[in-house]
Amino acid sequence: MVEKDLERLLDALPLEDGMRISFHHHLRNGDDVLNPVLKAIMDRGYKHLHLKASALFPVHKQVVKALKSGCVTDITTNYVSGPVADHLSKEGLEGSLTMQTHGGRARSIIEGGSPIDIAFIAAPAVDESYNASGVEGKNPCGSLGYAIEDAQHAAVKVLVTDTLTTIEHVQIEGRHIDHVLKVDSIGDTSGIESGTLAISSDPIKLKIAREAMRLLKALDAIQEGVSFQSGAGGVSLAVTAMFNDYLKTHGLKASFYSGGITAGHVEALEEGLVGRLYDVQCFDKRAIASLKQNEAHIPISASDYANPSNASRVIGDLDIVLLGASEVDLDFNVNVTSDSYLNLIGGSGGHSDTAEDSRLTIVVAPLIKARTPLIQDRVQTITTPGAHVDCVVSERGIAVNPARRDLIRSLEKTSLPIMSIEEMQALAHHYTKRPAAVKKGDVIGIVESRSGGRLDTIHKKVV
Amino acid sequence: MARSYLFIPANVPRMLQNADVFEADALIFDLEDAVSSHEKDEARALLARFLDEHRPEGVELYVRVNSDDDLEKDLRTIAPYDVNIVLPKARSAAIGNLTTLFKRLKRRFRVLALIETPKAFFELDVIAEDKMVDGLILGAVDLLNETGGTFSEDGDALLFPRNKLHYAARAADIRSIDTPWPRVKEGLEHDIKRTAALGFDGKCAIHPNQVPSINEAMSPSPDALYKALRIIKKYESEQTTRFSLDGEMVDKPVIEKARKLLDKAKRYGMEVGEDG
Amino acid sequence: MARSVVSGSLESSDCLITLTEAGETSVQVDTIVHEAFQRHLESLIRETLKQSGVKNIKVHCQDQGALDYTIKARLEAALARYEENDDG
Repeated sequence: MVEKDLERLLDALPLEDGMRISFHHHLRNGDDVLNPVLKAIMDRGYKHLHLKASALFPVHKQVVKALKSGCVTDITTNYVSGPVADHLSKEGLEGSLTMQTHGGRARSIIEGGSPIDIAFIAAPAVDESYNASGVEGKNPCGSLGYAIEDAQHAAVKVLVTDTLTTIEHVQIEGRHIDHVLKVDSIGDTSGIESGTLAISSDPIKLKIAREAMRLLKALDAIQEGVSFQSGAGGVSLAVTAMFNDYLKTHGLKASFYSGGITAGHVEALEEGLVGRLYDVQCFDKRAIASLKQNEAHIPISASDYANPSNASRVIGDLDIVLLGASEVDLDFNVNVTSDSYLNLIGGSGGHSDTAEDSRLTIVVAPLIKARTPLIQDRVQTITTPGAHVDCVVSERGIAVNPARRDLIRSLEKTSLPIMSIEEMQALAHHYTKRPAAVKKGDVIGIVESRSGGRLDTIHKKVV
Repeated sequence: MARSYLFIPANVPRMLQNADVFEADALIFDLEDAVSSHEKDEARALLARFLDEHRPEGVELYVRVNSDDDLEKDLRTIAPYDVNIVLPKARSAAIGNLTTLFKRLKRRFRVLALIETPKAFFELDVIAEDKMVDGLILGAVDLLNETGGTFSEDGDALLFPRNKLHYAARAADIRSIDTPWPRVKEGLEHDIKRTAALGFDGKCAIHPNQVPSINEAMSPSPDALYKALRIIKKYESEQTTRFSLDGEMVDKPVIEKARKLLDKAKRYGMEVGEDG
Repeated sequence: MARSVVSGSLESSDCLITLTEAGETSVQVDTIVHEAFQRHLESLIRETLKQSGVKNIKVHCQDQGALDYTIKARLEAALARYEENDDG
């Protein structure tokens, strides 16, 4: 039976102190499922919950209240930004913070290492057999990739929807589902696009994009049938546009683009520049509309995207990935979890999954942000190990991992500003001077590698 | 010789310290219109300390000075540095006055004369022939404010000033530099094509994002470069200044032109090859 | 009212310097680059101040990640303005 009242739904659920509850982040900053559900659970006085959200965004302010009240004591997530991140950086938490990767989360849920007691799954459209679609309904979010494992493996699965209708594009099968809650609204689709989803007009970011593109050309990396992934940051979007132009002018066709999908990827598909889009999450309305229309635009689960135990994962065939960084160190380790001052600002998401699997991993980032140099002796938090990072492209130079002798050899004759990572650091310090060491506070959690090991510890700020 | 001249407001640290990453061949640090009158002192101090510690390498450097009472202060500030100047509202008399000023400061600057008043067009030859002057820059926005013309994509209102300035510069064997297009993106490509077609040596940019398009349009095309390369190769192997290539007659001026083109490409780090 | 001048801005990579006449010299730095450069900035300001010979002044630097050349230039411009306003 479809429940229309959150309180009555909660009455029917086997809630207990210490339970592990999960949410997905496909509505991104437009999500209005996590906050009200968590508030109702908190109001009932439950304690010591373990929150397993695939990602937490600025909108998720209720989590701060739940942390303060002792309702939530542990968090496992792949990405955290906004007030929750600020609170964790400054105050820590009673239990522990575990930062997973997109592939690692799927793996741990499937293998049972990270069980979920109740999964609350925002579902844009649900039919009478409890099948769910992400592309239909009044607040479509596109792919439901990060919710698939929750829907299959949680002990109790609850769909939360604002649209009961017949469905054409089934992404979650009703046979897995235990309860459906009908609410007025699951959120605001326009919140999906919040953040930077336009090609950057920042001239420094555009310079970095041009340098990344020149590097790809110098390496002769763009061949017929190439596969490519880039995120939704300003630099990535600019490179995607240049990449598409290159395919067009050279009469080439890429085999697939994967990961988070944007309008730039969709245009390439519709112009015949790429064969397929493997979409684990939609970053804008154009991508959502395309997922509904284009057969070669394929929604995939987090496990089919990046689970390291899944031999047929999409990124196992990935040729080139473009990734960001808040810090890089002399061993090429990359931090996108915190900034240089121990403020949590994000997390791996698919960063370390794609870096490990892709044949060529290029990190793009400004060499200096205000006065903070990109290259540190040691990153504050390792998100992605340096062994999986091949090139770092900044506005003032390109460093190639010395382990990639093949790349260094093929760049011997280029006029590109190739330098060692030490030279790149010295160049940054020429402007910024060498920063004093930033003191680390208590350990509040860990970065978990995609295979489940402990990659690094996460420290609180010293306030 | 520079293709792109990028204006950088001299009182904005974020722009100054990144000025050399935008790929412009020349930078013009602006103390004039980009700086309000009560910030002139701040801007001079900032530019001086910047040039002390982070003087950009491998790029031509100019400072657009003020044409009024601030001119001498500006010149005193930049006198110790290896930079040259852009003189706004240039007239032959103002350039004459510079000689006195340079003597007093014991420092000579090379000058790019910014031509942005109707009267200047009727003494252009005098300005262009002055031995301090290395080039003429067209300043269309101020100019059209006076003439009442419209700065549109068709460029009609600029047909006369553009041609006149370019011819004057050519006649005096100095640089001809076209006006910046006032909008960052919209209409830019069209305007740049016009600049290149008229034969200008370079063009100004008012935003870093204009630079790549300017560099591309003002560079020799890959096809032209490849042809030039073949001309020079054939000239070297045949040891004669008169031969035919692809059915076209090649003689001394054509060989000279090809050589210049290849030199230009080399300076811009362009690759010349069979792939074009 | 105590003599007071400003220089610079709160734009990224800039700093806003406020100089106020005071009984003794003091330096206050609020910076977005935290402990990585806090002490460096304080000593840079004290050094520039010393070179200028100006005393009995309160320096407040609101820093948005300015590099050394900017800090020095803003402070120099502020000091010149301060000297100009000598008559109060």
